[in-house]
Amino acid sequence: MPRPRALNQGFGRVLIVIYAIFAIAATARSAVQLSTQFSQAPVAYLLSAIAAVIYIVATIALARGEGVSRMVATIAVAIELAGVLIVGTLSLILPSVFPHASVWSGFGSGYGFIPLILPIVGLWWLYRSRP
Amino acid sequence: MTGLFANALISAGLVVAVWSAVQLIANRPIGRSLRVAMWVLELMVLTFAIGGVVQMIMTDHDFAKLEFVGYLLGMCLIPIGALWWTRSDASRAGTAVLLIIGLVTSILVLRVQQVWLGPSA
Repeated sequence: MPRPRALNQGFGRVLIVIYAIFAIAATARSAVQLSTQFSQAPVAYLLSAIAAVIYIVATIALARGEGVSRMVATIAVAIELAGVLIVGTLSLILPSVFPHASVWSGFGSGYGFIPLILPIVGLWWLYRSRP
Repeated sequence: MTGLFANALISAGLVVAVWSAVQLIANRPIGRSLRVAMWVLELMVLTFAIGGVVQMIMTDHDFAKLEFVGYLLGMCLIPIGALWWTRSDASRAGTAVLLIIGLVTSILVLRVQQVWLGPSA
C-alpha cells in the first residue's frame, strides 16, 4: 500500500492547477455575464457565479491542504459535484430554465465534461491523501 | 487575431505540451530549457494579448469585447502562474502541470478567435 501523500503534493499539484484554471475562467466569464447580460438569464448566470466562487474556494482550500482547509475543500468539491449533477440533469429535462449555458449545463459538456470529472477526481484525491 | 502569430502561439503551446509529455514519460524533472520555453510562451501570450486589444480598438466589427478582453487577461496569468506553481517542483507532477498549461494555452487561443469572429461565425 503506497504511503498517503499530502493533499497539495504529487497529483494534488496537478489537480490544483486545473481547479485554478477553472476558477479564473469561471470568474472572468461570470463577471462578464453578470455585468452585461444578467437580465437575459438570471438563473443560469447566478449559477455560473456560484460555480466560480466554489472553484475559487476549492482551489485555495486544496492548495492549503491541511486541517480545516481539507474539510473546506471536501465540502466545496462535494457541492460542486452535487451542482453539476443537479444542474446537468435539470438542463436536460427542463431546458427552458436554462436557455443560456452555464458551466454545469449538460454536465459540463461545453467544457469537455471536465466540470463533471473534476469533482469526482477531487473527492477521490481527498480520500486517497487522507491523513 | 486569426493570423500567423495566433497560429504560432497555438503551435508553441502544443510544443510545450509535447515536450512536457516526453519529459514526463522519460521521468525527468522540468529542466532549465523547458522553463525557458515557458517564459517564451508567456511572452508570446503577452504579445498576443496586447495585439488583440490594439486590433479590438482599431476594428469596428461587433463582438463580445468584454469577454474577449477577459480571455486575453486570463491567458496572461496562466503560463506565469504555472512557472510560479512549479518553481521548486522536481516531481513528475510539475511536468504534468506544464503539459496541461501548454494544451490550455492552445485551446484558449482558439476560444479567443471564436469570440473575435462573433456569434454569427
